[in-house]
Amino acid sequence: MTVWYATALILSIAVFAIVIYFARRSDTYQDLDRRIQSEADLTAGILAESYHARGVLVEKDTAGRPVLTPEVAAVLEVVPDFLLVTSRDGRLLFASPDARALTFAEFEQLNAIARPPTTGGGASHLPGRFRIDPNGPTMHYIVRAVPDAGDQFGAIFAGADTRSSELRLQQLLLTIVIAFFVGVVPAILVGGWIAGRALEPVDRMITEVREITDGRSLHRRLAVPMERDELGRLAETLNQMMTRLERSFAALRRFTADASHELKTPLTVVRAGVERAITRPDMPPETLAALEETLQEVNRMTELLESLLTLARADEGRADLHRESVDLRDIIAEAGETGELLAEHAGVGIDIRLPSEPVVLPVDRSRIRQLALNLIENAVKYTPRGGQVSVELGTNDGRAVFTVADTGIGIAPGDLPHVFDRFWRADSARTRTSERAGTGLGLAICKWIAEAHGGTIDVQSRPGRGTTFTVGLPRG
Amino acid sequence: MKILVVEDDKTVGDYVRRGLDEAGYHVELVGDGDEGLRRASGRGANYDIMVLDLRLPKVSGIDVLRTLRDRGVGLPVLVLTAQDSVDFKVQALRMGADDYVTKPFAFEELLARVEALGRRPKAIAPPTLKVNGLVLDTGSREVTRDGKRIELTPKEYAVLEYLMRHQGRVMSRTLITEYAWDYHFDPGTNIVDVVITRLRKKIDHAKEPKLIHTVRGVGYVVRA
Repeated sequence: MTVWYATALILSIAVFAIVIYFARRSDTYQDLDRRIQSEADLTAGILAESYHARGVLVEKDTAGRPVLTPEVAAVLEVVPDFLLVTSRDGRLLFASPDARALTFAEFEQLNAIARPPTTGGGASHLPGRFRIDPNGPTMHYIVRAVPDAGDQFGAIFAGADTRSSELRLQQLLLTIVIAFFVGVVPAILVGGWIAGRALEPVDRMITEVREITDGRSLHRRLAVPMERDELGRLAETLNQMMTRLERSFAALRRFTADASHELKTPLTVVRAGVERAITRPDMPPETLAALEETLQEVNRMTELLESLLTLARADEGRADLHRESVDLRDIIAEAGETGELLAEHAGVGIDIRLPSEPVVLPVDRSRIRQLALNLIENAVKYTPRGGQVSVELGTNDGRAVFTVADTGIGIAPGDLPHVFDRFWRADSARTRTSERAGTGLGLAICKWIAEAHGGTIDVQSRPGRGTTFTVGLPRG
Repeated sequence: MKILVVEDDKTVGDYVRRGLDEAGYHVELVGDGDEGLRRASGRGANYDIMVLDLRLPKVSGIDVLRTLRDRGVGLPVLVLTAQDSVDFKVQALRMGADDYVTKPFAFEELLARVEALGRRPKAIAPPTLKVNGLVLDTGSREVTRDGKRIELTPKEYAVLEYLMRHQGRVMSRTLITEYAWDYHFDPGTNIVDVVITRLRKKIDHAKEPKLIHTVRGVGYVVRA
């Protein structure tokens, strides 16, 4: 914000300064041109007037060269800059003090220009510019005829170099630069301060809203400023929105609680009946088998229900973890034993590698166990007989890294982004396993568990080659 | 040992009552919080454990718990709840509950927790289980057959202990899995079968009589 403001300010002032500089520059040069023009005109006027008054304006000096009459020359002496007056045949009649101060070579250059441009003497104004000294200042000059002063005169050359003008322009430039720094730096500082003051309540509001909406403090509200300005109304609007959010979250929570009660109680009743019947000693085997199947289905429903409730609560942003310091090796070793049993049943090889050092992290033991078992069970399930499953726990850069790799059927690249989606199952997995698949929530739960611990879960896979799941958990 | 069960659902209440009855407890069942509170804190109340459902008509389970503790009744309370969020469990424990079981529960779990709360005399839960020369010491977790020591992994031990605890009764695969794993496996993966195969190798191989028997489609039974 402040940066934008400063950039805009600097740009506009810079444009302003550039425009002023160039306008001033062209003004200065025009002034210069006007000055030499009027000098030339003045000289022509003086000569004309003197001619009318005296008739003769040129006389011979002691060396026999023609010069301007001393009286007239004295008048012209006061004209500044360079002024030359030549005779019709091109001889110099008068040179101003500035011109006389020039070196001979320079003087000759001026003299060459000052010769009458045309023999007819028709052209009265011939402005131009040149450099006497290649590195010196540019000289603006004008050459004009002297119409009303008899026939002795050839041309008047009036010229001025731009040294003084350029000096003035440089001063202007210096002034602009100084003014720029003196003006812009405080303007940016003050502007930044004002912007900061104006935006500070907004910043504060952003922080507050972020704190409130992180999940657990929806009952809090923003402090509404006294003034009913835009910010005050924004705070009010946000508060209203949060009230509605809080209400809908409360409704969801109530629904979750109600649903879990309303669904779990009948499940408990069914389970109680089945369990009581199945543990009766005198049941015929067929009845027992039917009861066992019922019990399995009750468990499936219970698991599905619990997964749904877990994910519903996760959506609500409630981590719901019961953390304690645990050596992950114990959890993975226990899950690994189960993995060995599953792998033996499926005819799949399995190896479990644990580090020699303890990997102690504050985690929810039962959730991490669920995560590990879920990944291992999946790996075994999707690996054909004769394949291999590798389970490894290690540390990397202060993180605990748990990988489960298999040489199973793999996941198509297009399916990879969806494996953690709820109720998602690859078509290949669906068609392959004639047995009934899981709830379709297993990996979604795994993802939630990893992320609720502040960790990550990633999957890499090549169809037909195998799949690797990697879980990273931060220490502390 | 006397247990007061406060549960409004008749089927669940009945089931808990019968199960605890069978396990040798004396059980009283009441259907609402008011009555539960009256009985537990009334004069001459002599219960050893209270099993309390949290959703009750009239007075909720949480209120029963709070009032009970306010009146200075120190009776151990096992809470039954359908809410399995950590928050809720923590709340119940803070209110003075001693333990909880989440619905739907396996009766075995309820029984284990009731036993723990009641610190039952050893005669009812013997530390050593015996079936025809096969001996399992629940204290040292040692297993021997005919005096010869048998090394078991934790899961093998858990399955064998469960079967021996209920010797002579057919235990279904699901019940065994629940006891040994506390995790719902895909019904297609019959992990119990693998453990049983291993157990047979270690316990019944080249021995007579065979102690572990299969009941097709249901599960297993340990009997002489």
